Amino acid sequence: MSGDDGVSDPAALIEAYFERGWTDGLPVVPPTKTSIAAALAAAGLNGDEVLGEITGRNTLVTADKVAINAVLAGCRPEYVPVVVAAVRSLCHPDFAYHGPASSTGGSAMVLIVNGPIARRIGVNSGNNVFGQGTRANATIGRAVRLVMMNVMNTRPGLLDRATLGNPGKYSFCFAENEEAHPWEPLHVERGYRREQSTVTLYASNSLYQVYNQLARAPEPLLRCFADALCNLGVSNVLGFSQSLVVFAGEHAELLRESGWSKRQVRQFLVEHARRPVADFKRAARLPGAIAAADESTWRYLFDDPDDIALVCAGGRAGSWSACLPGWGKKWTRSVTTLIGEPA
Amino acid sequence: MSMEMFDPTARPAARTTVLARRPATLTGLRIGLVDNTKFNSEPILQRMAQHLGRRHGMTVAHLDRKRSASHEVAETAIEAFKRRVDFVVSGIGD
Repeated sequence: MSGDDGVSDPAALIEAYFERGWTDGLPVVPPTKTSIAAALAAAGLNGDEVLGEITGRNTLVTADKVAINAVLAGCRPEYVPVVVAAVRSLCHPDFAYHGPASSTGGSAMVLIVNGPIARRIGVNSGNNVFGQGTRANATIGRAVRLVMMNVMNTRPGLLDRATLGNPGKYSFCFAENEEAHPWEPLHVERGYRREQSTVTLYASNSLYQVYNQLARAPEPLLRCFADALCNLGVSNVLGFSQSLVVFAGEHAELLRESGWSKRQVRQFLVEHARRPVADFKRAARLPGAIAAADESTWRYLFDDPDDIALVCAGGRAGSWSACLPGWGKKWTRSVTTLIGEPA
Repeated sequence: MSMEMFDPTARPAARTTVLARRPATLTGLRIGLVDNTKFNSEPILQRMAQHLGRRHGMTVAHLDRKRSASHEVAETAIEAFKRRVDFVVSGIGD
């Protein structure tokens, strides 16, 4: 697992990791025996423990490799249980790793942290939640991507065939804002207790912000989301979609004051995220000539309200929220995994 | 003092595999098709099979439609291919 390469200068050691192709393009934190042991201890794991398998690639993911990559990414030891749970999600059959990891669509692996661990280790759920500036967010997501590259051999141009990729492929981790939430948080909705901690893995190839400063009721606000979710260029507009909607600040507050349930919000989005078949044909998203009936025949983006995940995060001020289209539920499902911590 | 490097990579686990016997001739072989459900996958595979049929007298003996392009071919489908066909073509990519 290790080798003494005779490097004595820390900067040269960082360069040596670059030269071996073991980084994501950013400098890494060179691990030591001590830091690797601390990472394993924080997760209560032995180095040879198998965390999962990418079956189609004959790839076993062991704890020692995850620990090394977590240190390389800059994780503090207490972040490692989150990384481990995310890696277990990557290996879950429902996630179907090959597609979202290797497709030309170039998905980010979005990690949503829920439960008390988020606050304890400092995962940002507030201002600039998708942006820079918080070590836990930056390094947990980065560690997962490094595991994908180094352990699962998902390297750009080889088993990562992203046409464009997106910046979220460096790292995309945030916590849900459970304190300022109109509803129950994501992990509770998925069957966990509020005091449990989880990470939800979700593949998304983009993030776009949705703005509305004038709406004073749910309907006009949610029309903006329905429209954003159903643009003609979105990859899964032909059905079998799974999408994540993140409500921030003023939008979350509006929904809280309205008393609308999650079910109502989802139902509204299902009913309004649609376009006439003719639109799809004009844009060559559906084959065939446009018939008269196509102008008045609706094609819906979602067939199941539960395919829309609703999460609250972001700063309190501002009329911004976000849609993150999924990679498609036909090919992959988001997976929520309990974060295990040593007693 | 020199510093140690730690290898963060892993390699696929070694597994023993046995290659299918190579056919001595193309004439009359039984074709297996794996449709990964991408748009136009099956029409392209069927067109190719028709072409092979005309040139070599081959026939499609089994077609499996995968759950999605992201999923592996099911074990039951692999067993069916073993029993019924001489070779398999899978497609398609982007």
